[in-house]
Amino acid sequence: MELTDADLVARVLADDDQHAFGELVRRHQSSVRGLLRQLTRTDVALADDLAQEAFLRAYKHIRSFRGEARFSTWLYRIAYNCFREDARRRKELVGVDEDQWQAEHDPQTVDPGLRHDLMHALSLLPLHERTAVMLCCQNGLSHDEAARVLDIPLGTVKTNVLRGREKLKRTLAAWGPN
Amino acid sequence: MIDDEALDRQLREAVPYINDEGFTARVIARLPPRSEPRWLRAMIVLGLALLGTGIAYVVGGGHVVRAGIIEFANFPIWLLLVFAFGCGLVVGAFAVIFAIRKTPEVRDLTRLDF
Repeated sequence: MELTDADLVARVLADDDQHAFGELVRRHQSSVRGLLRQLTRTDVALADDLAQEAFLRAYKHIRSFRGEARFSTWLYRIAYNCFREDARRRKELVGVDEDQWQAEHDPQTVDPGLRHDLMHALSLLPLHERTAVMLCCQNGLSHDEAARVLDIPLGTVKTNVLRGREKLKRTLAAWGPN
Repeated sequence: MIDDEALDRQLREAVPYINDEGFTARVIARLPPRSEPRWLRAMIVLGLALLGTGIAYVVGGGHVVRAGIIEFANFPIWLLLVFAFGCGLVVGAFAVIFAIRKTPEVRDLTRLDF
């Protein structure tokens, strides 16, 4: 029988079991790295560095995980905080170079294919809408869970998801319903 | 125009699974070294305390301990009561501090961040 995340966390807490923590990393590395890759706009090396930092921070502070939310939600929050701190350090936080980045990435130059168009359209969204859409639509978090991850009001998450979705749909209108 | 459900499906499918490729191993390699189990640390401390006591008893010839107990027994009863009460207060204070440190709900009141 496969152990749940809660079982593995309990083992880490009880015996400082690094194998159990390794299993948690294996289970969640793809989603955490995927989230960070999109937040960092496909800067793979930076995203992986931040993901490592997030997992190390999770290990160090695992006693503060009280099991009220899913382990993945708690992990996303740490990963998002790592990203924000790094962005602040690099002075590239929300909106600072957003316009410049959009100007440099003309939608006409995107590779063909819905996937590419979709990912490109997603990367063009402002950070707060992009993050909300990624968490709720891509990673399957509820609005409430996303609000916890982003530490913003529930209503703001709903608005950001709604606006992000509408922008994506407008950008991808040419593809029609699938 | 694409509907919400189709958009969400496309978004989910657009993100491929990222192969581990040594990522987990790199994280594990950077974890701080494991500390000894608590019971082992407790046993070491207890063992050293017993050993120290034994050595002190042997070196002192035993008569110091006997003389101490006799002298202690000759103290007035009120002084013994005060001493016992003081010991109780100290042990109780340590127990409360230990309980607070072990209770996440109380501990997190002063440390809310991750």
